[in-house]
Amino acid sequence: MPKLTVNGKELEVPVGTNLIEAARAAGVEVPHYCYHPGLSIAGQCRLCMVDIEKTPRPTIACNTVATEGMVVHTETDRVRETRKSIMEFHLINHPLDCPVCDQAGECWLQIYYMQHGLYEPRMTDEKVHKPKAVPLGPHVILDAERCILCSRCVRYCDEITGTGELGIFERGDHSEIGLFPGRELDNKYSANVVDICPVGALTDRDFRFQVRVWYLDTAKSICPGCARGCNIEVHVNRRRPHHADGRRVARLKPRFNAEVNKWWICDAGRYGFGFVDAADRLLAPAQQQGGSSTEVTWDQAIAAVASALRRLPPEQIGVIASPKMANEDLFALRRLLDLRGIRQAGGRVPSRVPGDEDTFLIRADKNPNSLGAELIGFGGDARAVIEAAGLRRLKFLWIFGHDLLAGALPEGDVLEALRVVDTVVFTGSNANWTSANSHWVLPAAAWVEREGTYTNFEGRVQRFRTAIEPLGQALAEWEIVGRVMALLGEPLSATRAEHVFRQLAEAVPAFAGLSYQRLGDAGHPLAAVGAAGRRGAGIPASEATS
Amino acid sequence: MSDAPDTAVTFSEAQLAEVRRLQSLYPDARGALLPVLHMAQETFGYISLETEEYVAALFDLSPAHVHEVVTFYTLYFRERPGRHVVAVCHNLSCHLAGAPGIVAHLRQRLGIEPGETTEDGRVTFLTVECLCACEAAPMMQVDDRYEMNLTPARLDQILGGLA
Amino acid sequence: MSGEAILTRNFGRSDSHTIRAYVETGGYQGWAKAKSMEPAAIVDEVKKANLRGLGGAGFPTGTKWSFIPKNHTGPVYLVINGDEGEPGTFKDRYLLERDPHALVEGMLIAARAINSAKGFVYIRGEYVEPWRRFSVAVREAYEAGHLGKGLDIVVHRGAGAYICGEETGLISSLEGKKGWPKLKPPFPAIKGAFGAPTIVNNVETLSHVPHIINRGAAWFAGLGTKTQGGTRMYSVSGRVARPAVYEAPVGITLRQLIYERAGGVTGNGRLKAVVPGGSSAAILTADEIDVTMDVDGLKNAGTMAGSAGVIVMDETVSIPEALMVVARFYAHESCGQCTPCRESTGWIYKMTRRIVEGRGRKDDLDTILDVAKRGAGTTICAFYDGAVGPYISYIEKFRAEFEALIPHA
Repeated sequence: MPKLTVNGKELEVPVGTNLIEAARAAGVEVPHYCYHPGLSIAGQCRLCMVDIEKTPRPTIACNTVATEGMVVHTETDRVRETRKSIMEFHLINHPLDCPVCDQAGECWLQIYYMQHGLYEPRMTDEKVHKPKAVPLGPHVILDAERCILCSRCVRYCDEITGTGELGIFERGDHSEIGLFPGRELDNKYSANVVDICPVGALTDRDFRFQVRVWYLDTAKSICPGCARGCNIEVHVNRRRPHHADGRRVARLKPRFNAEVNKWWICDAGRYGFGFVDAADRLLAPAQQQGGSSTEVTWDQAIAAVASALRRLPPEQIGVIASPKMANEDLFALRRLLDLRGIRQAGGRVPSRVPGDEDTFLIRADKNPNSLGAELIGFGGDARAVIEAAGLRRLKFLWIFGHDLLAGALPEGDVLEALRVVDTVVFTGSNANWTSANSHWVLPAAAWVEREGTYTNFEGRVQRFRTAIEPLGQALAEWEIVGRVMALLGEPLSATRAEHVFRQLAEAVPAFAGLSYQRLGDAGHPLAAVGAAGRRGAGIPASEATS
Repeated sequence: MSDAPDTAVTFSEAQLAEVRRLQSLYPDARGALLPVLHMAQETFGYISLETEEYVAALFDLSPAHVHEVVTFYTLYFRERPGRHVVAVCHNLSCHLAGAPGIVAHLRQRLGIEPGETTEDGRVTFLTVECLCACEAAPMMQVDDRYEMNLTPARLDQILGGLA
Repeated sequence: MSGEAILTRNFGRSDSHTIRAYVETGGYQGWAKAKSMEPAAIVDEVKKANLRGLGGAGFPTGTKWSFIPKNHTGPVYLVINGDEGEPGTFKDRYLLERDPHALVEGMLIAARAINSAKGFVYIRGEYVEPWRRFSVAVREAYEAGHLGKGLDIVVHRGAGAYICGEETGLISSLEGKKGWPKLKPPFPAIKGAFGAPTIVNNVETLSHVPHIINRGAAWFAGLGTKTQGGTRMYSVSGRVARPAVYEAPVGITLRQLIYERAGGVTGNGRLKAVVPGGSSAAILTADEIDVTMDVDGLKNAGTMAGSAGVIVMDETVSIPEALMVVARFYAHESCGQCTPCRESTGWIYKMTRRIVEGRGRKDDLDTILDVAKRGAGTTICAFYDGAVGPYISYIEKFRAEFEALIPHA
């Protein structure tokens, strides 16, 4: 492991570490554009120059490997002056689009320009003009004038997605990023180029002109779109509610996790948050009868549910949980079912169309917590519960999240079940056919509106944090269940999701030893790693008596 | 596609065999890309987008990367050029020897600007950088050959010989 | 100062390009001798001869050959740079057309020295006749049994890009890509064409090698200066009576070249300036022509030998106009890969054009100088430094002439 010195600080780095990463390890940021740790070295922007003792001229850091005894200086006068020069070169033909460019506020030309004090432009000739506002595909739009030709997007399409849609055409200052004429940037991971573009050349069509980035708040979260559990950031607009037609969640961005998704997310996950601020959000508890819906208070709704659970024998109560629920929600529900001895429960609703899957990030299982549901005893097939309902054995059915007609359950069975069960309770965030045909609707908070954890398909437990306040009176599922339990005389004893997680870690061996602190920002694997081990470390699925 | 090629953009069997032979000459088959693009231009007259896609498939490259190559080099024509290409050098030695006058003479005689093709499709007129025949400046390249030590009279003679 | 015609000895014959003529005048004897030499001995001989690269960089050839890793077991490639494109240079065109076998024989010897079995000859796309001539010579050499017995040659046409004359730009182009130069390190001798150790040599450089082997390093070294041996072919053009290729010992002075070989200055007969080494070389004034035309002589004079393209200007030449023409060239040929060159070559051309057209501004000259100085040394390859040569030298040495064109300068 070579030992080198960066700005006077001595440190040891792994063999093959380039100087940008070595400097980072020493707590020093070297300005750069074209370098990206997930892509090959390009060495084109020339911004990452540093001074290395015994080397006559400043050298680019990205293409220089740290060697034993190397002495690097990143803030000499000469390096600073070189950076200033390189910044000027970058700005020669760059259009003054800041007032209309989405990248403003997170633009690396702006950031470095301000850092280096280049306030007087000398370029007063006509700048080179290139195509502007060119949609490249459903998600990405190109402004070729703003492009600094760092080639990150080209390398991304070659090296990460392997689809090679982008190229740099022509030469000299007429060089231009683009697609082969007539083609589209339509691979399933297309919008990652927006993240890696340092400037406003590649921007997000969905986010275009929505809201200025400095009005956004961010929270670390997990994408709930499939069982991979890519790490993300949720960006919300609280401060300018009149922008973007009241849409609160502005966008999702990937968050680096070396073990899960590295720097990337798929487009489906990136744009899968529309339901959060959609018009069909369930906002208040309601009682429904004969086609009409009456808003009630939480107290009323909880009382009705608790009353049914208290009154009915457990064999007449059925519960369909969801692998979209958080570990905390599922565990609270588990405690409730155990409290009343309810065994007729399931969580899996087979989907009609097999989900798409690839060898990169996308999993066919479009649920974020299937493994968590299985380990907490909700891995059973919902079909058994529906069958029991159809055989008139259930008088109470509590459905979490699913639209039962959207899956592969026989339509007739579902219709019959919902018709004959006395009390059907739906808990979910958005209205659907099932909620419309339930007697009680209890609005659930969307995943960005509360915190919790999911267990991804590899057994990694990951935290997602609250990004925005719940819409209307929606509550997290664990909270709803907790209120029911309180009325049943056995409080959940949790005022925060973390409390429920603590209980989960104590009760379910697979989760032993885990805590929010231990999960941190990168998550942590379950206690027992092997598949067999995991199975044995969970709670057996509730038996469905037929 | 706005331009319909005169012939279908495919190589004959013999040409495909030549493509494979060329590809085998290089440690990485991609090395044959420039020679094959030359071949395509000679066969089809120029490199259309359809040709780029066809060649890309022969090399298992994305069309974008073939387009990069075609747009980078000046000898690949992306639109059908005239029957003759007249490329006048306007670099330093030729400039000192009167290239501007040569260019002006040709503009007048052909009635077009550098970069354009005559209406009758006879001549594409270009100004180019150093052709490395500075000892014979001013000079130009007409199709495959160098025409050197140009004078207005010599120009007229050469133009007259272009059918 | 003429000296012996070595590379140009056959240029007078109309059949000089044939193998028959080549063999008649001693061709392939160097290869016969080299065949029985150890590769290291060949490298040594070329080092002792002080042969310097004649394409532009002037790097000692033997030293370059010795960079090939000694214990490398995979392929090693010999790549010939026939992408002659430096304005003012035309010598390689003559060699390819009139003595292509010199290059073939040079390649045979070089390939043995570096342990290469595969040579690629990259010829610029515009050189159609030279390409045809050389391809015929290759075929003749195969038929004569020189090639195909340890060395195969692939002839590869370029497609129009000056940057393919940069050795790693050439390699990229050979690999079927845009002619984008590669980051160094790694250097081509370590990792070059198709990822293998590669030596890139100029056409003329290798054409000297058979003579070095034949007549000895000491002879070759003795023809030149202390640090550069042999003769070289000077391309002389511009305002001279006899623009042509002139072979001369490298110690010849610029004055001798212009007045004794090329017949003196035309135009108004009075010398104003000379570009000594292709357009990328800093310009020299009429007072600076007593310099020797070897690599170190010109380097010490603040310019470079480059490709030995000598462009002569008399007093009727407008230096600002000349700079505009040259700036236009660099803007057109910038490959666009790295930021300083891509963005500023176009901008500087725009400024020089404004100046020539009488729309120059007071700060333009200092801006050009400052931008050029800031960009020099920051790019992936030396193309930009080649642009900086004229940008700075034309303005610094002829500033008054520029200022005269700028209103209120």
